[in-house]
Amino acid sequence: MTEPVAVLRADKISFSYNGEAPTLKDISFSLYSGESLGVLGPNGGGKSTLLKIIVGLLKADSGTIFFDEKSSSEFKKYPFEKFSYVPQNSELNTILPVKVSEYMDFAKSLYKDDNSLSEIDELLELVGILHKKDSLISKLSGGEKQRVLLARALITNPKLLLLDEPTKGLDSNGQDQLLAIIEKIKKRDKTAVMIVDHNINQIIRNCHKILCLNRTYHWHDHTDLLTKNILEDVYHCEFEHLLIHENDLDNNAKINEADHHLFCDHNHSSDKETHSLLRRKK
Amino acid sequence: MNIINSLQDFLHYDFLFYALLGTLFLSITCGLISPLLIARKNAFMGSAISHSTLLGLAIALSLFSSENSLSIFATTLFITILCTLFLAYSTFRQKLPTDSLIGIFYTATMAMGILIHSAFAKTKTDLLSFLFGNILLLTKEDLLLSLGLLAITAPLIIIPFKKWLFLTYDEEGAITSGVNAKFYHYLFFILLSLLIVTSIKIAGTILIETLLLVPGFFALKFATNIKQTFIISVLFSTIFAVFGIIIANTYGLPSGATLAVVLFVALVLSLLLKKIYNLVRSN
Repeated sequence: MTEPVAVLRADKISFSYNGEAPTLKDISFSLYSGESLGVLGPNGGGKSTLLKIIVGLLKADSGTIFFDEKSSSEFKKYPFEKFSYVPQNSELNTILPVKVSEYMDFAKSLYKDDNSLSEIDELLELVGILHKKDSLISKLSGGEKQRVLLARALITNPKLLLLDEPTKGLDSNGQDQLLAIIEKIKKRDKTAVMIVDHNINQIIRNCHKILCLNRTYHWHDHTDLLTKNILEDVYHCEFEHLLIHENDLDNNAKINEADHHLFCDHNHSSDKETHSLLRRKK
Repeated sequence: MNIINSLQDFLHYDFLFYALLGTLFLSITCGLISPLLIARKNAFMGSAISHSTLLGLAIALSLFSSENSLSIFATTLFITILCTLFLAYSTFRQKLPTDSLIGIFYTATMAMGILIHSAFAKTKTDLLSFLFGNILLLTKEDLLLSLGLLAITAPLIIIPFKKWLFLTYDEEGAITSGVNAKFYHYLFFILLSLLIVTSIKIAGTILIETLLLVPGFFALKFATNIKQTFIISVLFSTIFAVFGIIIANTYGLPSGATLAVVLFVALVLSLLLKKIYNLVRSN
């Protein structure tokens, strides 16, 4: 039997902004057809940065991104056709009065000669927003905007879908509905999905793999070992803890063990680079 | 002179007819680019480009006599495009605000222009006429050149129109769908500099800003979708620019300043009327 080919593979990706401390260090993972990868971590942990490196908006300092096991550098130009990316809806321009149908048309017009494209109405129906086709995007709710962005990303029937905080600003109902649509697409088309989000419950429920990012630290491929409690420990205790100490170190303040170690048992030095994490003691 | 006589003048005198034609083409192109300029938040950049034309003009007037309009035009265009490319390079996908850099740049290039002009100009032509436009300075050559350039500029906006809109509305979505943002970023600023240099004698390097900003601002205030935005912008720009040129000729006023005031008054009046209409409707 032949080995399955990873739709997306990252190999030792490292990145730092303007030579500062690394935002990402040696991040590696693989994602196969029909699988989903959730990326968790605090603000500034490098989640969106990793996504932007994968979609070619940022260039990694080192490491390689592979699409269908072919390095992105082997393509003549960046292989945008290999994926669809849904940025955060806050990135949309608020000045132009653009209707849902007009926005979809902008995207579809890029692929004039391609007959395999999905029909705009079908896509809007799929994401449950066909009735808003003639509405201005600026007048839609956060959840509706996110669905429009998702519909736009589905025009090319992508094998790989990358979503940057799709549930940001949505209430729990809105989050559930959106993630249910993504789940439906994933099952129907065997689409590989990489999703950056803050909602631990949703990520655990919907993703096969989880990657926790906080600068140089990461886990992946261990969803069987992860529970909400463990992730909460990581998310609410350890990450927070690290940030507190980084702030202290940034301010050249001496770490006060007594202040921050009431509930954690951490090994760390006062050097930011070697500050290491241990899981919270039960 | 009354307006009827003035209109007859536009048919009798070649230079006035060309001025009218030039204004018409210029206003159509400005009307098309104006909403994009505002939505891309590049209004200040347009200002910097228009001010840097003064440096190009000063260098051109130091190298050639003022009668040699083709050489002056080409030199000004070349220098302005160089300045524009520098600005475009410095502002491509920058997260940090670039307004301070643009501010420094445009005052510096303008100052250099004035110094170079006062030290080296072959004939001490009044730089003011280039700042504020004067259709009496127009020659047939100028206008043919302008029309030629506008014939290049307009299709470059119209043909990839949806790409411009996609990039402006959802830049990251467009880039990751394969639109070459860098190419369009540079193209946009080159088109702007072409427009600005082309319009030096009609509107002037400073007052061209009005034609670049007011139509888009007006359209974005009133339009309810993207199609309307561009139709309103082009119509507003064309109607009031042509009206401005006719008024300027009728009363012997400087064309650039008249255009700017006519467009501004039209904008203020429409905003006032809209406010009154909304008040009446809410009562």
